[in-house]
Amino acid sequence: MELLLENILNLVGFIIGMIIGIFSYLGYTNTGSPVLFRLTIAFFAIGIGFGIIWGGYMIDDLILQEGKIHRGLQALGLGIQTIGYFFIAFSHTIKSFFPKSRYFRSVVILPLFTLSAMNVEHIIRSFSFILLVYGAIETFVSFLEGKQKGALAVGTGLALLAFGEFIAWYSLVFPESILYLISILLKISGLISLFLPISRLPLRKIKFDDLEDEEDDEFGK
Amino acid sequence: MGPYRNQIQIVGDILVAAEELTIDQDGAPITKLIQKANISHSRISKILTNLVSQGLLEQVDSKQARRYKISMSGKDFLREFKRYSEFTDNFGLSI
Repeated sequence: MELLLENILNLVGFIIGMIIGIFSYLGYTNTGSPVLFRLTIAFFAIGIGFGIIWGGYMIDDLILQEGKIHRGLQALGLGIQTIGYFFIAFSHTIKSFFPKSRYFRSVVILPLFTLSAMNVEHIIRSFSFILLVYGAIETFVSFLEGKQKGALAVGTGLALLAFGEFIAWYSLVFPESILYLISILLKISGLISLFLPISRLPLRKIKFDDLEDEEDDEFGK
Repeated sequence: MGPYRNQIQIVGDILVAAEELTIDQDGAPITKLIQKANISHSRISKILTNLVSQGLLEQVDSKQARRYKISMSGKDFLREFKRYSEFTDNFGLSI
């Protein structure tokens, strides 16, 4: 049951991430907006991250049959997802998140190389949680300012993903409990909520009488 | 005071103004565009030159003053601009 839900979650994450990523990319090519460019990176990263984990489960299911995903692969997928969450948070001008000193930044990253894949996974999950909470709060604030229903749905989606991440971490304290299942269900609900407002917009690309490249050059910088 | 607009938002505002002011074939005078898009003369001149060179606006020759009207490509761009503005609004972001 847990494995099935995990597969569904990762497949849904992969599909939704790629659809929103493609939509953002089309928007970027049509308008040259840097915000759409950041959202393109964010959602492609989220989609690819989920896709890697889904692929890992499929490889195990079809070939290895060990009943668990390779820890390194899981950490890689979660890491790429976190990059996506970072770009969503970064779009809300999260500029003071990292220390400015280049030396300090390199030292901060060092401990990651001395930890096992399991520990790295937990660190990545905690980063994801912080970024998702930040993104959710900023989106809720925008909703309060603009009263746009779409912002409420996206904010709720990010909040559910964050809560799911938190519950997943908490399930480590109580393994074999229902907490992990709840976390997967929360994340699936979060992804669907994230997709709802975007699903109302038509997915297509327009042609500007051979002017697209010129517009990109002019406005995309 | 409202938030600062980026380049794309300014272009969007100019195109919206041009579309609303283009009632007939004469196009809109630059002073009306300045008022409607809320932008300085020095800044709008450069942007208008760019938009005309890219075919999003058309410059109409007139005896009185330079006039601009939105082109078909400009309307297409504006439609996309509005659609993706709604998309980024959903994330609480400005395009």
